[in-house]
Amino acid sequence: MSDKILTNREPLRSGLDLEAMHRPRARNGRAPDPHVPGGWFPMREHREDEAVDFAIVGTGAGGGVLAARLAEMGFSVVAFDAGPYFRPLEDFASDETAQSQLFWTDRRVTDGENPLKLGSNNSGKAVGGSTVHYAMVALRQRPESFRSRTKQGFGADWPVDWREMWHYYAEAEEALKISGPISYPWGPSRPRYPYRQHDLNAAALTLAKGAEKLGIKWTETPLATLSAPRGKSPPCVYRGFCRVGCSTNAKQSMLVTFIPRAIKAGAEVRDLAMVGRIETDKQGLATGLHYHRDGAWRFQRARNVVVAGYAIETPRLLLNSASDRHRHGLANSSGLVGKYLMTQSNVAVWGEMDEEVRWNKGPPSLAITEHWNYDDSKDFFGGYIHMSQGPLPVEWASVHTGARGLWGKALQDEMAKYNHMVGLKMVGEMMPQERNTVTLADEEDQYGLKVARVTYSWCDNDKAMIEHSLDFMGRQLEASGARNVWRQPDDTNHLAGTARMGDNRRTSVVDTNCRSWDVPNLFVCDGSVFPTTGGVNPSLTIQALALRTADRIQALARRGEL
Amino acid sequence: MISLPDLLMPSRSGRDARARRALATLSRQASALRSAPRVPAVLAPKGPPAAKSVVVGSAQKLNQASGVLAFSVLTDSALEHYRGSFRNRAMFTPLVVSTLALAASVHGTADDRPDVHVARDVVFGLTALTGLIGTGFHVYNVGSRQGGYRWLNFFYRAPIGAPMAIAISGVLGNMSERLRRTPRGTPPTLYGLDAGKALSLFTALSLAGTTGEAWLLHFRGNFQNPFMYTPVTIPPASGALLADAALRGGASRRSAARAGMIATALAGLAGTGFHMRGVARMMGGWRNWTQNLLDGPPIPTPPAFTGLALAGLAALDLLERRDD
Ligand SMILES: Cc1cc2nc3c(=O)[nH]c(=O)nc-3n(C[C@H](O)[C@H](O)[C@H](O)COP(=O)(O)OP(=O)(O)OC[C@H]3O[C@@H](n4cnc5c(N)ncnc54)[C@H](O)[C@@H]3O)c2cc1C
Ligand code: SF4
Repeated sequence: MSDKILTNREPLRSGLDLEAMHRPRARNGRAPDPHVPGGWFPMREHREDEAVDFAIVGTGAGGGVLAARLAEMGFSVVAFDAGPYFRPLEDFASDETAQSQLFWTDRRVTDGENPLKLGSNNSGKAVGGSTVHYAMVALRQRPESFRSRTKQGFGADWPVDWREMWHYYAEAEEALKISGPISYPWGPSRPRYPYRQHDLNAAALTLAKGAEKLGIKWTETPLATLSAPRGKSPPCVYRGFCRVGCSTNAKQSMLVTFIPRAIKAGAEVRDLAMVGRIETDKQGLATGLHYHRDGAWRFQRARNVVVAGYAIETPRLLLNSASDRHRHGLANSSGLVGKYLMTQSNVAVWGEMDEEVRWNKGPPSLAITEHWNYDDSKDFFGGYIHMSQGPLPVEWASVHTGARGLWGKALQDEMAKYNHMVGLKMVGEMMPQERNTVTLADEEDQYGLKVARVTYSWCDNDKAMIEHSLDFMGRQLEASGARNVWRQPDDTNHLAGTARMGDNRRTSVVDTNCRSWDVPNLFVCDGSVFPTTGGVNPSLTIQALALRTADRIQALARRGEL
Repeated sequence: MISLPDLLMPSRSGRDARARRALATLSRQASALRSAPRVPAVLAPKGPPAAKSVVVGSAQKLNQASGVLAFSVLTDSALEHYRGSFRNRAMFTPLVVSTLALAASVHGTADDRPDVHVARDVVFGLTALTGLIGTGFHVYNVGSRQGGYRWLNFFYRAPIGAPMAIAISGVLGNMSERLRRTPRGTPPTLYGLDAGKALSLFTALSLAGTTGEAWLLHFRGNFQNPFMYTPVTIPPASGALLADAALRGGASRRSAARAGMIATALAGLAGTGFHMRGVARMMGGWRNWTQNLLDGPPIPTPPAFTGLALAGLAALDLLERRDD
């Protein structure tokens, strides 16, 4: 298949390099250097028949960080990703449609009362995972979020102390050179962000104005894109293509930060390598994994396996790895693999300004308020943030065609207002519910693997939070001078849950070390271990947890408990 | 325009041939540069030209200092205000004024007559005033946006200290004119103070202010390159040495201050090089110069330190004379 495309030189449907999408690039002892056009890093390679210390499935926010840290600690590591190894400087087009190749668009089934819309908003398929096209908002959960059950009366407690998490947050922020305000207005004091905040665009200033009118605090959003040069990464150029991949490398995605670190430290990355099954022996221990690369199934032996495929692919892989000893799927004696799936509500209000705004200029969410995360006088559990917005034109058109059902002249008229639009969008904590699940459907994907069925329904608390946010954001947008304010009440984004961590093997899938209760040489390192999802975007928490998991693994190894 | 060995050399009464040669060169270059007509007869010094005094030599050095500053401001405000699309008509002012100040400075550098030149004097006065008014504009601009006087706006709105550079240029020019007027045989004074001391303290203060501006913008850039600490260490330290030499006197203090000023002058020039490299590190580098000259580190600003160092060296000449 790849040969045909290469020899035929078919007209490119996308601006992306088709070769990267059909032929692995990381091989023959080298891997692409994303900072240098045509450049390579030397890469250590591992034999398949020799067990590596760690085989990691997924190279996103969780897997990417863990691969680097474990390699730096001296473990032998091979990290697999189903997606391509992109060179942003050469491969990324300034074209929304072309860039859809960054999303996980393999077949999945969705149902429930509020089926999730999967794709651009909640997935990634590339070396670097979803961070290659994420919006870079890098937030810490408030301390009480790690004790939701005891402190706030809902969900479940994390088996981790918030101070420990905050320590690792600082480490993650430093590693990504997060650009943020000099002092953050909410929560316990934190160190100054490594890089200074970005300037605000007009859309962000609108949020500030509305917040000041309503008497709530706002600040510049801490972002994983540079406000000053760093090594070979230039500072952000404020062109606003972030959610379809950053072609300058200003964005500190895993692809330009931890992946190069991992490779330099001796890890091997295998791109276009879809892991289909984790193999276990008679004792129930993992022995390696089956993966599909170059058109064939292969097997890599490993002493430990880490799953980091995010909240849908992680449970899917565990369920697809059922064996005689693990009949209901790997690591599933609790029966909780795939349960307690959480998304975050992402509803919005939109309005028009008289003056030109040009909201797409710059990273999409330059200003933020965490007011409703830290104010506890609410009639619902959990909290939310809300931020300024800047959707690109195609994305914006799809809001009209989707949420509003506009077409033809009506759509044209709306699109003509593009440069005058402003909006506020929340990221809100949805409740962990056992009935929200990832299970296996009967259908199979292109590899012959059972696809995931994703079932989702909102609970009353979710609805109350959405109503609260729409009402508040609407008032704020009007206070900032916007006219014709309207609501988009159905959007969701980030995922979490499905392999929750906990103190008790009956009520959780992994322990505080993110190690499976059932299979001691199996770890999970991604958003699926979250017991609750908190009212902030998840990536920094995933990265902080991955840093912590690496330290935990090192401690286990030192005690001979691996 | 500047010949470094000449600038760095301490001047002595009864100048040696080297200084005269260098000045002659400067003056030739300056007359080539200026388009202004010869000094009108009324303004020309009366009587036969006397041997040039140290004071006039220092005045000319001050003209070099004010000229370097004016040139830095001219190019910087041209870039930055172009970036701001000259949204406000007043944004043309620093261009016009710094051009005039530059012309007056060149003229003064070439003019070794011990007398005030009215046109120059007016230009320098106007220049100083412009700097003050500009500062008012910039202060207003910072506070006028959402959030008011918060770090964000200090970082990204009009740079609050920039207009002071042109004010300093004006004051140095004004001092130069005052110095020229010194009657033979009397110790030079500025605004009622001993000239060497006044100029030293003013220079030290200006260095401190300019350091503040550099600190703010380099802090915004997170001191991501260790060399970004240069303008926030060498100039203020040298300024302190200069103030020390002025207040406590002594040859060794003066030599230390002189070394500091030379280092500051060189740091200013090196800064230009670093800023050029900074432009190269932006997305697209120099190939994308139309954008990166505006968005990268401002190339014209570091020489402001060189200008101030020249003023410091002139001050040291005066101190030397006083203490001798
Ligand atoms: C458009 C968008 C914007 C976002 N914006 C933000 C934001 O501003 N702030 C924030 O905090 N978060 C944001 N997120 C969410 C954030 O990107 C994710 O929460 C985070 O990346 C999840 O990390 P992860 O390691 O769990 O999974 P991912 O980063 O998604 O990585 C999983 C990787 O595993 C690979 N994989 C999965 N299964 C297999 C398999 N079987 N074999 C081989 N490889 C496999 C996938 O290809 C993928 O590369 C955004 C997400 C999207 C999509
Ligand atoms: S706005 Fe900045 S972070 Fe976003 S794509 Fe452009 S350069 Fe990258």
